[in-house]
Amino acid sequence: MKLAVWSYQAPAHVGVSKAASSFSGIHTILRAPKGDGYGTIMLAMFERLGVSPPLTIAALTEANLAGAPADIGRAIAEVDRRCEPRAIVVTRSATAAVLQEPLDGEIAMMPRGSVRADIIQASAHPVRDTEFSAFGKTVRQIVDTYAEDGHRKTREPSVNLIGPSLLGFHDHSNIESLRRMFADLGIEVNAVVPLGASVDDLRTIGRAWLNVPTALELALPTLELLRERFETPFLSEPPYGELGTTLVLNEVAQILEIPRTRIAHAARDAKLSWYARTVDAHALSGKRVGVFGSPSAAAGVARVLHDELDMQIDFAGTYVTDSADWLRARVAPFTDRILATEDYRDVAAEIDARRPDIVFGTQMERHSASRFGVPCAVISSPAHVLNFPLGYAPFLGYDGANHLGDLVNQTQVLGLEHHLIEMFGPRDQGRFAEAAPEGTEEPAAPREAGDPVWDDAALKLLQRVPFFVRKKARTNIEGYARERNLERIDEATMLAAREHTGG
Amino acid sequence: MFDGAESVLERDDFCSLAPIGWLHHKMLDSFFLVVGTGSCQGFLQTALGVMIFARPRFATAMLDEDDLAGRDPLEALLPLVRTIAVEQAPRAIFLASTCTPEILKMNITGCAPPLEEATGIRIYPTRMDGFDASYTEGEDHVLESMIARAPRGDEAGLVILGCLSALEEAEIRIECQAMGVPAPAFLPAESALDLPVIGKNTVLVPVHPYLYKACSSAVRERGCRVPPLLFPYGPDGARAFYEGLAKAFGLSVSYEAREAEAWRACEAETAPLRGRSIAFYSDALLELPLARTLRAAGALVPFVSTPKVYRKFHAAESAKLEGVEILAAPDRFDVFDRLSQCRPDLVVANLNVANSLEGMGFNVKWSTELTFQPIRGFAGAATLFRMFSSALRRHVDLAAARGAAGSDEHPIDLGFFRLDRRERSAV
Repeated sequence: MKLAVWSYQAPAHVGVSKAASSFSGIHTILRAPKGDGYGTIMLAMFERLGVSPPLTIAALTEANLAGAPADIGRAIAEVDRRCEPRAIVVTRSATAAVLQEPLDGEIAMMPRGSVRADIIQASAHPVRDTEFSAFGKTVRQIVDTYAEDGHRKTREPSVNLIGPSLLGFHDHSNIESLRRMFADLGIEVNAVVPLGASVDDLRTIGRAWLNVPTALELALPTLELLRERFETPFLSEPPYGELGTTLVLNEVAQILEIPRTRIAHAARDAKLSWYARTVDAHALSGKRVGVFGSPSAAAGVARVLHDELDMQIDFAGTYVTDSADWLRARVAPFTDRILATEDYRDVAAEIDARRPDIVFGTQMERHSASRFGVPCAVISSPAHVLNFPLGYAPFLGYDGANHLGDLVNQTQVLGLEHHLIEMFGPRDQGRFAEAAPEGTEEPAAPREAGDPVWDDAALKLLQRVPFFVRKKARTNIEGYARERNLERIDEATMLAAREHTGG
Repeated sequence: MFDGAESVLERDDFCSLAPIGWLHHKMLDSFFLVVGTGSCQGFLQTALGVMIFARPRFATAMLDEDDLAGRDPLEALLPLVRTIAVEQAPRAIFLASTCTPEILKMNITGCAPPLEEATGIRIYPTRMDGFDASYTEGEDHVLESMIARAPRGDEAGLVILGCLSALEEAEIRIECQAMGVPAPAFLPAESALDLPVIGKNTVLVPVHPYLYKACSSAVRERGCRVPPLLFPYGPDGARAFYEGLAKAFGLSVSYEAREAEAWRACEAETAPLRGRSIAFYSDALLELPLARTLRAAGALVPFVSTPKVYRKFHAAESAKLEGVEILAAPDRFDVFDRLSQCRPDLVVANLNVANSLEGMGFNVKWSTELTFQPIRGFAGAATLFRMFSSALRRHVDLAAARGAAGSDEHPIDLGFFRLDRRERSAV
């Protein structure tokens, strides 16, 4: 046993349910104790579905522990009759797997023709798979079930978008952004998988010329399947940032043999490159940032921050630990400090130790960073209710680059504003004074034996440093004093420290 | 013992781990250690907003392949409990078994005494599974495990059973004093170690309809008395509750005037309910007393769907609902059919289906909120009725604004997500 409080990835059955329920006309039956059924609530609440979620729990009860049969056939028949789906995907939670009920046998015994829907037993393993691996396998399995050979490629160049789903991170906006972009390029979107793809869409999935992942860790099994079956090439990463999107589209233009001039047309509303040159963005240059998230988001966003906004990547990391090497290779030009962990406390400790200027992470890093007074922008799953905005907030494509720029803006004190605060000070007024966290009063006494002591004047001066950089300034000054074995810190020490540490 | 239908499909109801939310909030020196799978941990994470806590006082001991292969749970738990003892220093740990340990027949209860001896921390073994227990019944199991450790004794006393807010406790304390009833002890109290004497001269009074097991094991093991009262929801429930309490101590007290006063006090909240129909598709086991007091307030209740009905324990409440159809654990689709037939003014529904029902054109009050609002007693009545009246009011107000704008009543765009039924898409 291992203690766990919070995890980035959900159990396998959630991955299966998210994948299967995202298809149009496919219903998931989860064999599990009803307590495992909170995926229904997430679907209903986060996605604000105005229909009964296409996910039903076939409840495992104490009677089943005592040997009563699962009666999965009855559950299937009931869902078939009431919801009339094209297909029913049957899966089970880890708990149900431990009971080892012979569901296969029960399903095989169902009278022929008693159910009109196709029955698909999910191949993902309830215990050994993770949310992402189960998601990837399920999408692949369903696509493989329905994809038909023998369809010709579309007449005009076309793509499939692979990876977006219900409960995905900003997926509705991402699809919208990519659809607009491909429309501008004169490229047809053949199918979006799994979100909204019907069985009929899947039959002709092989017609697309190219497959585009929205998250590689979710899409890869399907991308590989489609390459094997239809020789469809795929992009090796999703399009993040303005330059990143242009780079990806250059590759697309080459594969699909479309004129490069169309890329400029698609990029006409992209503003991130220009923003990077404007005064407000000057303050971003050289800022140290930490990036943590899903592999695709961490790699994509780190590259944008470094290449397109001139920021310095202090560390990059992911909670998909077996993708650490993939991430390392992607961010090698910017940082060699890679954090691969499933424990959010490791990430919090890294933020505390490195004190970057901004963190780009998940909702959990937002909370962790706020404890250390470090600003944080949320750029990656796991999705939280805040990641289901009513408005348009994409992360991919040119519109996604614009949104990412806004996100940086909202997180960071801008160039001119920065100087205004320096000049006039937040003191007791204005938004920064109001936002000052509790407990920002500065103790003069050393926190540990041997630490230097601040005199009154120095402490007063420290109070004049804006609160959001005060902690960092204090750490720098104390470090400077310790290095030089100073017992007291006065105003002169502070100025000398600034001079030497640039803080 | 209880009625619950034989549906093979989902009973729209949470896991019984949910009460950890309010129980750990109440017992400030407690820690909840859940022995289970990633799914248990995922549920706690989703339901209890773990992110806001720097150091939450609950965690999951995640079963790994060794545990599934039959490792001694004590050996696995000991280092975890030691870590918790050092890092969090709780005075009591609730060691909660869940579905998987039950399937594996792991002896979690047997781990408690040696863990307690090794760490010096009180360990309450309990069971909070997601099989048959309704979600609020997690509290029932926790209180049962506390009663088992309560001191024995013959002195006469009153124990109020069930997690209450400070405001609700204050009312009961003041009323008991006014009636001349012994000062009540509350279980749970603010400390998980604060346990009242429970013996044959104890009067044990549950305030929630989901405490059947704790009550019956107290009666069985300690011979204490559980008077058959209404639960203190609404002015009518509060009156019957206090009068019954007095009677249990041989006193005759009338709360008739007090009840009338309470109805007058919440008139602004009950007036909008009069003549309106309110149906329940809810999951907290609070449905019977809520339906009872809503009817007393003048609302019409076409039917009540509840996870289960305990025949004896709920007898007083059921008796007050004569003529109302009570459905125990029906399947979701049956309830949808029934709702479509009777079209109530308001549906009290759980979070699984609240948005779905709004999408189908019903006015919904989400039910989970009722479990953590201080709605008991005379003083809680206005809060209780406001839950329903404000739901009705907001639907009317929003519909009026939509009407003024000439907007459709239910403009749902499912653009990204079609249910795609067979007949529509068949080639």
